[in-house]
Order: sequence, then structure tokens, then C-alpha cells
Amino acid sequence: MRVYVQEDVCQGHTQCFMAAPEVFGLREEDGHAFVKITEFTPEVIEAAKRAALTCPEQAIVVEP
Amino acid sequence: MTEKIVVDFDHHSKEYRERGMEIARETREKCPVAWSEHYGGYWFVTGLDEASAFQKRPDIFSSARELGNPDSVYKGITIPAVNTDYVGGFIEMDPPKQLEYRRVLNPLLSPAAVMKWDPLVREFTNACIDDLIERGRGDFVEEVTNIVPAVLTMAMIAMPLEDWVIFNEPAHASIYTPPDSPDYPRVAEMQAQMATRLFEYIGQFRTRPRPGMLKALIDAEINGEPLADVDIMGTLLLVIGGGFDTTTALTSNAWRWLAENPEEKTRLMADKELWNTATEEFVRFYAPAQGTARSVTQDCEVAGYAFSKGDRALVSFAMPSRDPKHFEDPDTIKLDRFPNRHAAFGLGNHRCIGSNLARMQFKGIMQESLARIPEYAIDYDGLQRYETIGTINGNRNMPMTFAPGTRQGPGLQATIEKWQAVLDAEAVAASA
Repeated sequence: MRVYVQEDVCQGHTQCFMAAPEVFGLREEDGHAFVKITEFTPEVIEAAKRAALTCPEQAIVVEP
Repeated sequence: MTEKIVVDFDHHSKEYRERGMEIARETREKCPVAWSEHYGGYWFVTGLDEASAFQKRPDIFSSARELGNPDSVYKGITIPAVNTDYVGGFIEMDPPKQLEYRRVLNPLLSPAAVMKWDPLVREFTNACIDDLIERGRGDFVEEVTNIVPAVLTMAMIAMPLEDWVIFNEPAHASIYTPPDSPDYPRVAEMQAQMATRLFEYIGQFRTRPRPGMLKALIDAEINGEPLADVDIMGTLLLVIGGGFDTTTALTSNAWRWLAENPEEKTRLMADKELWNTATEEFVRFYAPAQGTARSVTQDCEVAGYAFSKGDRALVSFAMPSRDPKHFEDPDTIKLDRFPNRHAAFGLGNHRCIGSNLARMQFKGIMQESLARIPEYAIDYDGLQRYETIGTINGNRNMPMTFAPGTRQGPGLQATIEKWQAVLDAEAVAASA
């Protein structure tokens, strides 16, 4: 499994970062989100799924 | 194709102010995109999925306004359209130019960058409270929430802090005065004076620049060219409009709600963890910016509706954020609401560029105000909402009473002088 943020869909609402700061980081230049980890444990996947629900742009993808 | 349903809807009306969300409930189910005959006719978008579809297609739903051509399809982000001879910043533009402007200001508005200003917000909030706390009464809008965002905006642009007063009345009046008001010409004249003052300042500033948004704009290249003064001026008007009025609306509405829900106020004051979700929830529920308009640039079919080139559409931020398809119990404020994928900061490429600043300010103003005045009552006889909330869901006045307290600091004027000295020293250091 893996998690990523669709760069062309994210608009920098930062809600994923507020929901799961352990999974998502924000770029310095515009505050848009990225996944900051590479190891996708079940806990990470759960946190990412939860964060994906709160994204106003629905930019987060959790791949099985 | 979905049938075009006509509703009697006017976002600048008293009825919208008093019953807007009820109207939304009544109409959304049968027509998340309805048609109103007011202002020459416009689509009125209330569903979250539909509002999202609109805002993600700037190529066919344009924000741009063509100057000097009343017959143009491009009519900008307000209904009715404004008719100034300058572009009012990148909110009235489409990509790629709009994104170039945002690239200039984004680094100053990221979550990390805005925290630099947290101490200023908290200190000015306390200064405002100091000026009223011994009285046992005050106007939360006029004496607190009009002032702190305005001073902060001046600081971030790098204008003299005391200039907040010059822009204060026009920034709010241009938003709360309905387009058909007899007072509108006077307000338009005040707006013109604001523009003149900004022109003068930009001219002076070029000879002795200092760090901040204005310098970023002066140093910027858009499409390989530096910006003309008129473009910088339009951008500053947008920053002032967005910086002054929206956070004022958000904080004052939340202040009133907490007075009316004392148990929730106690809960919020006791739980630091609650502030993130509570802030999003107040933004969702009150939607300081109620929505922005688009112009349809080509015949098209989107979300099951047929649109014609030249159509106008008002994309609500408020109503989609109450869409029961996406929000449980949408008309109730739940301080711990999660998830909360509200559309109140706008969606797509025009997402409120100051959203991180708004959150920081909201927490700063509210936390400091509540710490100083934990118990207060709103004086409803003096409470005055904006005459039209079609643009911003704001309050002109919010008088309150409370048990008198004691001053802790020297008040607003001395705090302006103190911070001006701090920022002046920073500017000297930066140019050394």
C-alpha cells in the first residue's frame, strides 16, 4: 500500500497536515501538502485514510 | 440534462441575510444549481459537488474581469459586476497569471511563515482589551476585531501601522453597503481615495523599500515583466480587503456564538486540542466569504447542467459547506467536527491565500480575548450585522457588557508605537 497527494489537485488547505502531521508535510514555498514518509505501516494507512476524508479538494490517494 | 429551475433569490437581500441557509436547504435538494432572475440573471450554486466542479474549471468558469468593456463575457467575481478602471488583484484573474501572483505571496502566507506574526496578534488583542476593560463594556467589532487584523495587514504589507485607520472604514463599508444603497456613491469615492493613497505610498516605497508583501510585489516578475504600480495597487487592495474584513467577520460571529453557548465556551477554553477543529468549524458554519462569481466562457455541460457562454454564476462557499450529503447535522456547530471538508475558504486555484493567517489570527484574538473577558453578554439592542452579507457575513457592531477588569498594558496607541519601532529596526537591519 502507499499514500500520495495529487500535486495538481492539492491547493494548500493544510487540513491533512492538521489531521495527521506524522504522515503529511507542507512545502515551504506554498504550503501545499506532500507525504513525508516512505514506510506505510497499517497505522500510517489508517491516519492517511482519515486525513483524506477531510481534504476539501479530495487530493489524497490511498492505494491498496 | 437537468431542468433549469428558477428561484427568487438575491444574495444581497435582507431575506438572504435572515433566511439564507433555510433558502439553501429548501432549494438544494431539488436544484443544487438554480437560476435567479436578479441582476440580469445568474446561476446560483449551492451543492458541494457542484461548487467543486465549478471551481476546478477556471478555463470555462472564469474569475477575470475585462476592463472598459461592458459587453465583455468576463465580468469578474461579483454580481452585480464592479466597474473600476483597474483589476482588483489576482482574485479577478485566471491561471496562469493568477498563479504567478500567488507564487509571489505564498511564501509569506504559509503556516510556518504566518507564525512570525502570532505575537503581534496577541499583543494587539491585549492592547485593545486594555482600552476597554475598565469600562465593563465595549464594542467587540469596533474596538477589537476591526483593529487587530487591520494592524496586522499593515505590518505584513510594510505600511505604517497607524495607517490602519485610513483603510478601516472604506474596507468594511465597501463590503457591507448594498449596490443599490443611496450611500454607495460615497463608499465608491472612499474606495477611490484608498487607491490614491496606495499609489502615493508605492511611489515613496520604491525609494526606500523594506521587507514585506509590497517589496515582494515590487521585486516580482510576472510573465518576465516587473509589475506596474496599478497592478501592485490592485493587489494591495485585495490584500487589504481580504485581510481586514474576513477575520473580523469570523471572530465576531464566533464571539457571539460562544456568549450564547456558555458550556461550549467553557469546554473550548479548557481544551487546547479542540482549537484546530473548532476553528475549521467556525469557518465552515459562518463562511466569512459567502461566495464568489464566475463568468461562463463557452457553451458547456457541467454537473448535468447546460451553460451558455456569457452566463454568470454565483458559487456559494457558505451553502456547500452545509450540504447534508457531506456534513452530518450541517446546521449545528460541533467544535470537534471531523472530517470537515468545508468549502468556506473556496476550492480550486482561488483557495483563500490567507487561510493560514486567518487560522492563526482567529486563535490569537479569541484566546487572548477569552482569557481577559471570560464572561460577557452581547447587547442585542446595539448588535448590527452587515446590511448585505452577500459578500462577507460580517457584523458592523457588537456591543457587550462584562464585569470591569484591570489594565495590563499601555493600550493601542502605545502598542502601535512600540511595534512600529520594532518593525523599523528590522527594516534597517534588512537593508544593512
